[in-house]
Amino acid sequence: MDEQELIAGCLRGNMEDFRMIVEQYTAPAMALAMNVLGNRDDAEDACQELFIQVYRNLGSYDPTRSFKNWVYTILYRRCLDCLKRRRQSAELVKKMGRETVLATPANPGHSHPPRRLPSDLLERLKAKERTALCLWANEGYTAQEIGEVLRCSDSTARVYLFQARKKIKKLLEQGHVSLQNG
Amino acid sequence: MSRCKMVEFFYALVPLRHWRGLLIRRHIENCPCCLAGLASREAVGSLLVQETDANIGRFLWTEVESALVADPGREMMKSRAVQSSVLRRWGWATATAFLIVLVTGFLLVKGFRPGGASPTAAVPARFELEYVRVGGQPANTVIYQPQGSDMIIVWAGTNK
Repeated sequence: MDEQELIAGCLRGNMEDFRMIVEQYTAPAMALAMNVLGNRDDAEDACQELFIQVYRNLGSYDPTRSFKNWVYTILYRRCLDCLKRRRQSAELVKKMGRETVLATPANPGHSHPPRRLPSDLLERLKAKERTALCLWANEGYTAQEIGEVLRCSDSTARVYLFQARKKIKKLLEQGHVSLQNG
Repeated sequence: MSRCKMVEFFYALVPLRHWRGLLIRRHIENCPCCLAGLASREAVGSLLVQETDANIGRFLWTEVESALVADPGREMMKSRAVQSSVLRRWGWATATAFLIVLVTGFLLVKGFRPGGASPTAAVPARFELEYVRVGGQPANTVIYQPQGSDMIIVWAGTNK
């Protein structure tokens, strides 16, 4: 079924159509969220929040624009919120004088087998740079499309991408240890 | 090569994103030498989590659905598209009506200004002459107003 038909179905309250949208976007959204957030649990939470927000705000979606970009924009915002929460929690823990455990990528009680997560190398990039890099490398997005997702100009998106690629190249040449894990 | 160095220098010199974006678009993206200093798509892709790696552990749909069903805002969402279009139409209608009232008000206020022509001035005043004298004697008087004009010509002559 066509994506626009699915959206129209969702607007009529058809949950089955929305389920198809969720299934279609789960994998790419998870990949982007994991690349930006660096851990699976946060990425799953961000994706859950994403789809709830998509459903609630579907009425305000402009059909002349790309639905995928709209979804990614919401996801990017959710990821930024998550990073902000994480930073605030880390600061709180630091104030309490405890050992910062929040930066640990995986929940110890998590039953999933370990999967390949973004290396430390990627964590050296800013969230905007990671998003731009992920959209460019995984989705084949152009600077203009990245700008649409990040809600910035083409030039700004180009700069984020350039800086990210430059950093990666430099670290690759230095033989960064994380590459062994990557 | 020297051009690449110059671009690099200007890139570092001016920290404006539009300027830097211009340099990237005009030179760096088209220069093999500069591109060699950037990680390739394949190299980056090998470091990133791919869609195939991102198998979600839990059944996301179940959680999303239960959150939406439990949410009272769900019913609101169904009619949101209709509501938004109706609201948009009403918004336009209100804005148009407001504009009309504003323009009409402006024109009326302008009309009542001391310097401007008053609404009563638009109605042609009745022109009256009680008498005309030339050299202390009553004169023959002809009053002439061209058709469709506000101009009034008074022609007076003596009876000699």
